[in-house]
Amino acid sequence: MENIKNLREPWEGGVAKNITFIVTKDCQLACKYCYLVGKNDKERMSWEIAKQAIDYILSCETDFKEKSVIWDFIGGEPFIEIDLIDKICDYLKLEMYRLRHHWFDSYRFSFSTNGINYDSPKVQNFIKKNHQHLSIGITIDGTQRKHDLNRIWKGELPERGSYKDVVRNIPLWLSQFPGGATKVTISTDDIPYIKESVLHLFSLGIKEVNINVVFEDVWNPDDDKRFEEQLIELADAIIDGDFYSEYACSFFAKFIGKPMNSTTDNQNWCGAGKMIAVDAAGNFYPCTRFAAYSLRDKKPIIIGNVYDGIEKNLLRPFLTLDRTTQSPHKCIECEVASGCAWCQGENYDAADTDTIYQRSTAICKMHKARVRANNYYWNKLYRKLEQENSSESC
Amino acid sequence: MLKYLIVLLDDNAVSYCHYSSKTEREVSISPDVLKKTIFWAMRENLSVQFVYSDVDVSDEIASLIDTIDHTDIGPSDADIIVVDDWNDVSTMNFVKGRSYVLRSGFKDLLTNGEFLKFILSLVDRLNIVIKDVENFSDSDIEEYKSFLDSLIPTIVGEYRCGHQVQLNLLTDRLMLTEMNNCNAGYESITLAPNGEFYICPAFYFNNQKSVGDIDRGLEIKNSQLYKLDHAPICRICDAFQCKRCVWLNKKMCREVNTPSHQQCVMAHVERCASKKLLDEFRKIDSTFMSEIDIPELKYLDPFDNIIKQNNK
Repeated sequence: MENIKNLREPWEGGVAKNITFIVTKDCQLACKYCYLVGKNDKERMSWEIAKQAIDYILSCETDFKEKSVIWDFIGGEPFIEIDLIDKICDYLKLEMYRLRHHWFDSYRFSFSTNGINYDSPKVQNFIKKNHQHLSIGITIDGTQRKHDLNRIWKGELPERGSYKDVVRNIPLWLSQFPGGATKVTISTDDIPYIKESVLHLFSLGIKEVNINVVFEDVWNPDDDKRFEEQLIELADAIIDGDFYSEYACSFFAKFIGKPMNSTTDNQNWCGAGKMIAVDAAGNFYPCTRFAAYSLRDKKPIIIGNVYDGIEKNLLRPFLTLDRTTQSPHKCIECEVASGCAWCQGENYDAADTDTIYQRSTAICKMHKARVRANNYYWNKLYRKLEQENSSESC
Repeated sequence: MLKYLIVLLDDNAVSYCHYSSKTEREVSISPDVLKKTIFWAMRENLSVQFVYSDVDVSDEIASLIDTIDHTDIGPSDADIIVVDDWNDVSTMNFVKGRSYVLRSGFKDLLTNGEFLKFILSLVDRLNIVIKDVENFSDSDIEEYKSFLDSLIPTIVGEYRCGHQVQLNLLTDRLMLTEMNNCNAGYESITLAPNGEFYICPAFYFNNQKSVGDIDRGLEIKNSQLYKLDHAPICRICDAFQCKRCVWLNKKMCREVNTPSHQQCVMAHVERCASKKLLDEFRKIDSTFMSEIDIPELKYLDPFDNIIKQNNK
């Protein structure tokens, strides 16, 4: 169907190496749903650690055979450390060139930011300098009341939402990155605002809204029903308002809600272990979600450090992890399994033992609700398009 | 399905596997705990293995042990005798009809090849356990291959003389058509002197969490991870003789179902040498173990195959 906008494919088909610098564990905001339980303003990456990490990674070209690389910067809020990031990116470019590294012609710098200091001169200069290699997503959760429900300033009483401080930068961002997508997170309190929020983001000119429910076990008994109702209303609004041809919302996707073959559809959902993250202490992790500041109940999984390198044995469980081995029987037999996601870090944090091989099923009811709404969406949309086509042909 | 119960009689109980049993504790099993343990094993229909230290057990403990059919594992005078030091080997009075476990560092093993050939003429079964698997590196592969190859003529010679000696590293694979691993946590469980259950002795001696106690019973969380079908690397592997040591898995890879590169490579070097041994036997008798097949492989670590498949 040519007149339905699809979500963009990830850069390089999603197989680029992802290397994350946790440049700070500080953030201006204290979002209520944030999975980072150990944020602080002490753990800032030094240039020495960053340089050592780069030198190590670029010296191991044969271990990192992926054709392309995404140098990812996260926090906290990464742009708090724009001076360091600028220095890191300059050094990366220089070193990839000097070493004739195969990534020199195929790299990106990626950021997920709260957008608050997006318009600052330093961030803007950085964007101008690196524009063709940049991917920046600003997180805005929807309408002001939805956004301000969770995304509040740190340490302020009474609570103060951050919506106005972010939305003012959206036009500048979209002018620089017209295809810019945003990421929306839904927790139990956000459910009533899903429809209005997605439509609001469309109205701001954001054509792609990537949205997901939190993986943590926060869901109340009737949340799935409330969630489904919201998604049905959103489906009606998108179809009746003809938004589907120019805008996409990741809640609705053709591939979700189908049974999965245990042999041919057995790959892991999550990329932990294929990616690596490095923090201010110089420790490497299979993903940022395995660093101490991300974990509630478990110890961090450190797979090496910038001085001694990566201990490859510690990556083996991640790289051989498949869907069925970590899933309970009900997931393997599930008739609407496709598209049901998981986070390896949350699985580990919620597991009964210190394992990454126990899949958390906290979102089970929410996924099934999404599947029902998704079915409704595509049935309604295809019927509408069929009717339009047949009336045109008459 | 649980089949074996391993009972550590005290905190100095000899190590018969990869772990070290050195501990600061000095607990011996109490008669009360032992009585309950034996009763539990009988009800669960388990084969019991008692593990001794070099200190004699009390008469009360000895008479309790006698109330159940069992196997003894100890430093001397046991069904399975554990030798932990090459210096002790020279004074050991090896007897046919018993099994021996020889624990050795990797380099020590390589330098004692001639001595080992002599031992093979004296015993019916010898299990070699390498104590420092974590120190094995890819640069040791060729040396390990040569070492195992050098033992083949000795074993063939013993068979020619009618002495069917078994050496775990070389002959086990010849007798197996499917995985025959340690299976701790699935087929066996260990009761420590403190009355608590552990996946295996190594988990006790390395201060890991217990998985129940003799009063409450067993409670193994994520018990499926100890089974072969939940081990992505091992379930596609045919190094059937591999111990698939869940303790080494946990120690080196953080997950009980994931073997280290070292464990996989060593097992495959042994598998390759077993194939050579099989070929030698078939030169003598072309029908020897005709149901056994050990195909040529182009890898030493099945992990590499999984990654290749995933990248396709």
